[in-house]
Amino acid sequence: MSLLIENLHATLEDGTPILNGVNLEIPTGEVHAIMGPNGSGKSTLSKVISGHESYIVTGGSVTLDGVDILEMDIDQRSRAGVFLAFQYPAEVPGVSNANFIRAALQARLPKGQDIDAVAYYKNLYAKMDLLEMDRKFTARSVNEGFSGGEKKRNEILQLMMLEPKYSILDETDSGLDIDALKIVAKGVNAMRSADRGFLLITHYQRLLDYIAPDYVHVMSAGQIVRSGGPELALELEETGYDFLKELATA
Amino acid sequence: MPTAISQPSILTEAPRTSAVFPAWFARTQEAAWTSFQQTAAPKRGDEPWRFSSLKELDFSATTRAEFLGEASELIQRSKGLEQFSAKFVFVNDGFALAINHLPKSVICMPLAEALLSHSELVEQYFMRHPATLGSKKFTDLHTAHLSNGMFIHVPAGVVVEHPIEIFHWVQGQHQATFPHTLIVAGEKAQVRVIETFQSINERDATWTIAVNDLIAEKAANLQYSVVQALNTESKIISVNASEISASAVATSFQLHTGAAWARSESICRLLGEESRSYMFAVSVPSHDQEYDLRTFQHHVSPGAYSDLLYKNSLYDESRTIFSGLIFVDEGAHRTDAYQTCRNLLMSNACEANSMPGLEINADDVKCSHGSTSSQISEEEIFYLRARGIHSDTARQLIARGFSIEVISRLAHEASETYILRMLDEKFATLKS
Amino acid sequence: MSLDYIPETLDSETAEAVNIDRTIGDFTFPERNKFDAGRGLTEKTVDYICDVKNDPQWVREFRHRALKVFRDKPMPTNWATEDLNNIDFDQIRYYLSDGEKPKRSWDDVPADVLETFERLGIPQQERAFLAGVEAQFDSEAAYSNVKEELTKQGVIFVNSTEGLKEHEEIFRPWFGKVIPTGDNKFSALNSAVFSGGSFIYIPKGVKLKQPLQAYFRINSESFGQFERTLIIADEGAEVMYMEGCTAPKFETATLHSAVVELVALKGAKIQYVTVQNWSSNVFNLVTKRGLAMEDAEVRWIDCNIGSRLTMKYPGVVMKGRRARGEVISIALANTGQHQDTGAKMIHAADETTSNVVSKSISVGTGRSTYRGQVHIPKHLKGCKNNTECDALLINSKSRTDTYPAITVKGNQHATQHEASVSQVSQEMLFYMMQRGISEGAAMSLAVNGFINDLVREFPMEYSVELKRLIDLEMEGSVG
Repeated sequence: MSLLIENLHATLEDGTPILNGVNLEIPTGEVHAIMGPNGSGKSTLSKVISGHESYIVTGGSVTLDGVDILEMDIDQRSRAGVFLAFQYPAEVPGVSNANFIRAALQARLPKGQDIDAVAYYKNLYAKMDLLEMDRKFTARSVNEGFSGGEKKRNEILQLMMLEPKYSILDETDSGLDIDALKIVAKGVNAMRSADRGFLLITHYQRLLDYIAPDYVHVMSAGQIVRSGGPELALELEETGYDFLKELATA
Repeated sequence: MPTAISQPSILTEAPRTSAVFPAWFARTQEAAWTSFQQTAAPKRGDEPWRFSSLKELDFSATTRAEFLGEASELIQRSKGLEQFSAKFVFVNDGFALAINHLPKSVICMPLAEALLSHSELVEQYFMRHPATLGSKKFTDLHTAHLSNGMFIHVPAGVVVEHPIEIFHWVQGQHQATFPHTLIVAGEKAQVRVIETFQSINERDATWTIAVNDLIAEKAANLQYSVVQALNTESKIISVNASEISASAVATSFQLHTGAAWARSESICRLLGEESRSYMFAVSVPSHDQEYDLRTFQHHVSPGAYSDLLYKNSLYDESRTIFSGLIFVDEGAHRTDAYQTCRNLLMSNACEANSMPGLEINADDVKCSHGSTSSQISEEEIFYLRARGIHSDTARQLIARGFSIEVISRLAHEASETYILRMLDEKFATLKS
Repeated sequence: MSLDYIPETLDSETAEAVNIDRTIGDFTFPERNKFDAGRGLTEKTVDYICDVKNDPQWVREFRHRALKVFRDKPMPTNWATEDLNNIDFDQIRYYLSDGEKPKRSWDDVPADVLETFERLGIPQQERAFLAGVEAQFDSEAAYSNVKEELTKQGVIFVNSTEGLKEHEEIFRPWFGKVIPTGDNKFSALNSAVFSGGSFIYIPKGVKLKQPLQAYFRINSESFGQFERTLIIADEGAEVMYMEGCTAPKFETATLHSAVVELVALKGAKIQYVTVQNWSSNVFNLVTKRGLAMEDAEVRWIDCNIGSRLTMKYPGVVMKGRRARGEVISIALANTGQHQDTGAKMIHAADETTSNVVSKSISVGTGRSTYRGQVHIPKHLKGCKNNTECDALLINSKSRTDTYPAITVKGNQHATQHEASVSQVSQEMLFYMMQRGISEGAAMSLAVNGFINDLVREFPMEYSVELKRLIDLEMEGSVG
């Protein structure tokens, strides 16, 4: 059981290459982190896996527990078990958070079967309490007028409600103060289990102090250029990404 | 008086094209006269004339303006910018002065002259699009009678440093002029033109039917400003159209302080990706002046941008009409278009009519319009008075600031200084 | 559509009662009209209607004068759509009825008519939350009833024929006063051939807790429905009136041209709620205007989803000091539809305030148009208008237009108009779909979100129905 990315190539609509042969396997039960400088293709990888239409896959494959997901629509991939916590979540004016999450859960049920409203709210409130979110939040429009921290917490709340098999967290630590970061990490850690895999995309080591990864990868110019254990992140924190230049010139 | 008989009304007799002009121009004038006669006059219920005072459209006693011989005093009075690239003065459509410091490659001359020396070039750009905002009949009349104006052609890549100035002076009871201004900025060319309409005396009721066409070719930057400061007996119809190609920018600015009645129709046509249009107007009508301003932002191409800001400060019993339309063609996706009209109501007898419109036939567009009408708030007055300023002065300062916000959008200090000077001449006559 | 937005507080029975959609209205019963004015409109048609209805002489004269005005007025195609020229006035049938008086009990209503309204859920709604119902079938009301305690308080709720005969002293002084016959071509047409519609009088100080409802049903092909409604709320009275409508989808065009006049006397409040869901071959050309006296309030809460062409600009004439006028408007134009709606705010007294909020959605090749008029004359002071209109475009061939006209005289007033056009952004759709929501459902969510603040203005029973209707319309708008 794994999310398997093999030799993945992708370009922008105008043909500019962004991913140049990414190889990565995230088995259930593991937490992987991808680090790398700006523009290395980290965020693009998360969007390509999710099926964003601004990118064109030109080679390679993405399989989820052995099933090719690249031919699936965005929503099918989500229901198949891929969750993306966005770096910049979109605003959906006029649609309340409660209705939105409910619609997402409803979409996972067979036709004719309805969500039990009482159980739904009980579950929602429990997760919100864990993330220290105000009850008023359910009635607010999705992400509209949210602070950066509120948006990130909302992403984690959705992750906890939808219980996806594989979660990709794109720069979830950016724009968070330390208290908010701890709360977000608490949510993610609560979800860690033997049947779930996580991919953390981050620029800094800081997030990894709170969500300990099993493996760390370095991405550069659209490829994974180094992989290692948690110690790699600490090394990067000290030495920075300068070694990439040497790699490039070598 | 015998002289009255020698001059027929501009409506009754087909004007004769001067024999020296090219044949295509004679044909154009003849066709325009036929079209003028066949086109119905605006009537009540015509949408393009909603709220308009149609009674103002009376040309029956009007004759062609006569050329005046002596112009030296008017040349003295034609004071514009300190630094200019060229300066032209016309009196009743007659050419009176040319000062020209432009590079040789730039064609900048009276239209009557250009029709002889650059006939093909003029023909290529002349009256490319009919007036569509209601004044077709009057632009036909203009074309039929037109005898002079300005032709400016800035070739590709030429950047004209200082503005080109054009002054028009009019005089003669019930006499009409038909000035025509045609400006072409070639690829990557840049030019600024400032045109001013003034009356020689405060007494004569004149008619002006002016047309000005702006053509900004690929990546050109063309800025055109017009100051309308006619006497308060006169009337003017002006029709302005700009054609803007890919990556080009055209700015059209109007200042209205004069005339008894002024109708302005302004169109921009965005023809290429990344083309940009700015349309600005400042109007300060007073007494029983009436300004009727109609605009049309036509997004033909996808990926174009247009912005419009019209501000009216209405004094006494004055009246304004603003009618604007953003029109997005089918397929003109990624359009970015804005339109704002603001009315500052300075008296309890003024009247502001606003018709801000949108017609959108494409998606993936960002369009908005806004229109407000209000008086100066008590808080604003209070703030200035708390600084020791008299309330009358405070009102004037606020009204002036309201207009300056538009003028500053020209982003050219010398032009702004001149326009502000003309605006202040109007404010000096007003009591608030 | 599997999404379910019905709030938990709404019990399932009520939810079922308001469960109306387009397909539910698409059925018809055989005609069994005793009275049929035939096709086309002449003096004889008008006389036929007068004879059948046994109109008093003043009404007969009123109708004939109106017919002349209708003929003299040109089609307003100088500003309105050319599609108006496709109405064939010679093919339309102007009056159809079975000659029965409206029944006070559903038990007395003919079986097929009863079945019609039961399928549309009207008797169920009446039991659930209404103070009174009038159900019109083609030209005449088949059922009309109001709760007994309201009758005791002096509330009158009858059809227009009964109103002008039995209550002439209240009816006649206001009839045709808010909307004169010559207001426009279609108000003249209605004045010539009107039949059905409601007459309502709410006595001084009576505040109705539950709404009154009228339901307009077209059953016959090539038919023109011309109901006429007059609502008078006496000093301090309050009433909410709701109207719904459906017609089967015939091959030929159907015409609906109503005139609705509201009179809110000092301190009164009238709210008029419409959910227009005509089938997509109906020309819906309606004139609606309210008169608000001192401290009175008239609110039009209007939703247009159906019809081929709707032209409707509810207005308020604010005639008394501090009167208030409001138009809340939602329009959804799908392929083949043109929703030409708007508002007319006439300020005729000091310190009057008006508010217009309009949201439109254009889907497929649908076209939505907003036309507004705000008029503030100079002898007044302290008048305010606020107008907001927002358009949402769903597909690349969708179209929207906005044509407001605002006249402000004098400087003691403030007006503000804002309009915007937008679409559901790709990023918003990606976000929702990444949560597993299908593209169609995501679009529905976004559209419902767009109008959510306005939907709240409708009574809850209607807002639920509205969301359902919009979900239905949005199905198939993508992909």
